Amino acid sequence: MARDPKYDILFEPIQLGPKTLKNRFYQVPHCIGAGSEKPGMQAYHRGMKAEGGWGAVCTEYCSIHPESDDTSRVSARIWDEGDIRNLAVMCDRLHQFGALAGIELWYGGPHAPCMETRATPRGPSQIASDYELNIFPRYMDKDDIAAVQQMYVDAAIRAREAGFDIIYVYGAHAYLPFQFLSPFYNRRTDEYGGSFENRARFWRETLIKVREAVGDDCAIASRFAVDHLLGPISIEYDKEGARFVEYCDDLVDLWDFTVGDIAEWGQNAGPSRFFEENHEKPYSGQIKPSNHTNKPVVGVGRVTNPDTMVAIIRSGQFDIIGAARPSISDPFLPKKIEEGRLDDIRECIGCNQCISRWEIGGPPLVCTQNATAGEEYRRGWHPEKFHPAANREKSVLVVGAGPAGMECAMVLGKRQMSAVHLVEAEREIGGCVNWISLLGHSDGKPNLHRGTARGLGEWKRIVNYRQIQLDKLRNVEVHTNSRLSVEDVFTYGAEIVIIATGCRFATDGLNAATHAPIEGADATLDWQLTPDEVVKGTKQIGKRVLVLENEGYFMGASVAQKLAGEGHEVTLVTQAKEIAPYMEYTLEAPMLHRDLHRLGVDIHVYTMIEKIEPGVCHAYNIWNPAHKLRFEVDSVVLCTARLSNDELYRALKADKPRLEREGIEAVYVIGDASAPRMIVDSIFDGHRLAREIDSPNPEMPLPFIRERRLWGDSGNEDYLAQLRNTADVALA
Amino acid sequence: MKILVCVKQVASLDEEFELGGDGLSVDPEFVEWELNEWDSFALEAALRLREQIGASGDEVVVATVGAEVAEDGLLGCLARGADRAVRVWDESLASADVLVVARVLAAVARREQPDLVLCGVQSSDAVNGATGTALAGLLALRRVAVVKRIEPEPEGRALVVERELEGGLLERLRVKLPALLTVQTGIFEPRYATLRAIKQAREKPLERLGPGELGLSPEELSGHAGARLVALRPPERGEGAQLLDGSADRIAARILELVRERVG
Repeated sequence: MARDPKYDILFEPIQLGPKTLKNRFYQVPHCIGAGSEKPGMQAYHRGMKAEGGWGAVCTEYCSIHPESDDTSRVSARIWDEGDIRNLAVMCDRLHQFGALAGIELWYGGPHAPCMETRATPRGPSQIASDYELNIFPRYMDKDDIAAVQQMYVDAAIRAREAGFDIIYVYGAHAYLPFQFLSPFYNRRTDEYGGSFENRARFWRETLIKVREAVGDDCAIASRFAVDHLLGPISIEYDKEGARFVEYCDDLVDLWDFTVGDIAEWGQNAGPSRFFEENHEKPYSGQIKPSNHTNKPVVGVGRVTNPDTMVAIIRSGQFDIIGAARPSISDPFLPKKIEEGRLDDIRECIGCNQCISRWEIGGPPLVCTQNATAGEEYRRGWHPEKFHPAANREKSVLVVGAGPAGMECAMVLGKRQMSAVHLVEAEREIGGCVNWISLLGHSDGKPNLHRGTARGLGEWKRIVNYRQIQLDKLRNVEVHTNSRLSVEDVFTYGAEIVIIATGCRFATDGLNAATHAPIEGADATLDWQLTPDEVVKGTKQIGKRVLVLENEGYFMGASVAQKLAGEGHEVTLVTQAKEIAPYMEYTLEAPMLHRDLHRLGVDIHVYTMIEKIEPGVCHAYNIWNPAHKLRFEVDSVVLCTARLSNDELYRALKADKPRLEREGIEAVYVIGDASAPRMIVDSIFDGHRLAREIDSPNPEMPLPFIRERRLWGDSGNEDYLAQLRNTADVALA
Repeated sequence: MKILVCVKQVASLDEEFELGGDGLSVDPEFVEWELNEWDSFALEAALRLREQIGASGDEVVVATVGAEVAEDGLLGCLARGADRAVRVWDESLASADVLVVARVLAAVARREQPDLVLCGVQSSDAVNGATGTALAGLLALRRVAVVKRIEPEPEGRALVVERELEGGLLERLRVKLPALLTVQTGIFEPRYATLRAIKQAREKPLERLGPGELGLSPEELSGHAGARLVALRPPERGEGAQLLDGSADRIAARILELVRERVG
């Protein structure tokens, strides 16, 4: 199929200083957990996007010196020859596919605690970080300023040597250059503080010095948060934001605009729960149309729709479509637009699971929609290539079409198994996503700050994408409204059976904290509910509701939001130190807290329920059980333990002779039915099994490459040979 | 009770396709074949009736007029529970129209002597909606079209059927057997075949016959054609939409221009 001419504009090249960007698809700097010390993961994750058609692909934030160390969060580093060598692998791979390589030179100041290097970060004023705990910078005198500027220059020279085409001076997310520019950080009284020009001086000088060093060979870019979102106490897009762009316009070849800072980074990497596509338009999208710049501009906003991309460029909002998350979800987005395969695009759902891993500090990124993100090198997985399974003559029955089942059946289909039947008990495929995507709303009113609870509707894309792919696969049949019994499975005629029957919420208050049920908890009664019952509306809910949140992610809080939004008086109780702790990592917490407080939800932390009676819940403070609390409520929602629906799996496994008689060679269990987990992990589980369905023991994941130093050896030969034979990624 | 279900393997096209060199067909590269959706419901109705009436010697036979590509559809029907399949074809049937197909199916029906013939209301590719009714005419069978519901009478010699009319009106009729019904979609939820049933379908009888073996000569058949396809082409595209952009003032001015140009 051919490209629709209306998308031609997305494929027009544009000049960035001495470099030509071949199209308007630009992967802006974003974290993946690779840095310079996992060069394989770095090069192959980035390379996949280049292969998928992105015109430029950048590193994550890249430390210019040991004084800028964010451990345990993973940044790239360009401190020495070894880093040049490691990052050059990424550059080479990008160039192989015709993409430009970008590097985001970063100095964090007090936001980077230096837990590995034990160095002392410097800053414009001695004010502790508003992001980190108890980290103060050393005040920079003129010598310090010169020294740090030299760090940028030296890093830029190393970057050029590594092969980078675009070199950033990174002043978004409230890192050092922004700390000088913004009066929120800069209390100086010398020529680097006070007036606008003084505060801009550090950044401007740095740009001049970097340009002088490498500007003939490389495009000089600067990432700038045009609005700090703190109002007049800091930078505002239509005041000093626009002014700064004009002031330094002559020094950059490319502007990369964002909003916000690192302390509330979710205002920029906005989750779909609170922000719609192109949500930065009122800020970063105003600079170019108001004629503050003559240079190319790239900006973001979780844009996944090609028509939105066209509109953004045509309207003059940006010249180049920046993307982090949409490029993780679908590295082949540009190619699919080019080839007219729009319905094959795997749209980002804005869950921020990818980001959560970086926030936790250490783990590789993941992606709900794209299970191959982060696995390109260490497992050789390619999002668009699936080599035929060695045992493809076998037929497969997948029971349950939730996230794990859909993914598994899809990948098995793409691996050319002779016949795959995906059988679902409900009328529609999608499993838990069908009701979970109905959550996330409250009362529809905006928060005091940016971010209105707009619901998890975009999470439904998990189902939409897989539905389309399953429809296209001739060797996959999907049957709904069919609940299979053990007998049905035994006689189905499949050689391989995969159970993906999901999980359910405990009805007796069983929870991870006490490992026991709660006295009086019984969600089979009509005044007690599990979260799915709240969404499905099967029970009446009284005016006063207590939600016991014991799960750790979004479920309890989302139920509280919904009920409070509908006018209930909600009490939200957790034994943890905060509600929905995982939502800190997905950057959803600040907006969630604002919404819950605005709605008047009564939140109690460190609190455990010990007894539930009609009309009242008895609780205690976990630090002193004698400190009792009483909540008078009409209904109770138990968001506690989840239990695998594994009865079918256990019954099959219990009768091995029967399995043998019926010709069933293997029975596997995946997703929540194996162990309740987050959706991203269920999809991964189904994907992995399908990728390895022809390995000697599919139940046991194959080893993956660990990028580590082996004592006395400097190579990666362990597993590499084995992986080369089966990887869909051509490993060097 | 013997039920004959007449089915068709229909062409399903990609969004983009090209016509074949003869200008009378779609280039096979862009065509996928599947069992006609209405026939799937007709088969389901047959299988359910057989289950309801449940006497020994009951048989559900599927028949089609189609090239080899139609065998997939027949196997699917056998997998879902049909007992036997019959496919009639030779090159002389390549340009068969509705009446010719009905004549061939009539020959199959005379051979089978079913108590009930079920057809789908129409096919999704040719959309004539005529084959079933023509078949009934040729066999001089009682017939009801667009049936939404079938209930067998206890003795099994008649059926009570409902058909759907405009405005949600339902017509209830009692039909004595033998009869022919054309079945509407949604009559029942069609069952699907398990992997085992799909494998076992290959062991069920699938007869391949030429029209000659049914006593039909090519001259006889072509003589009964009601219509002949002379051309196949995509509809002409309209002018399309023109996008106006710019400021509100500019767009308003342009709209005024266009209205003056077009309306005068």
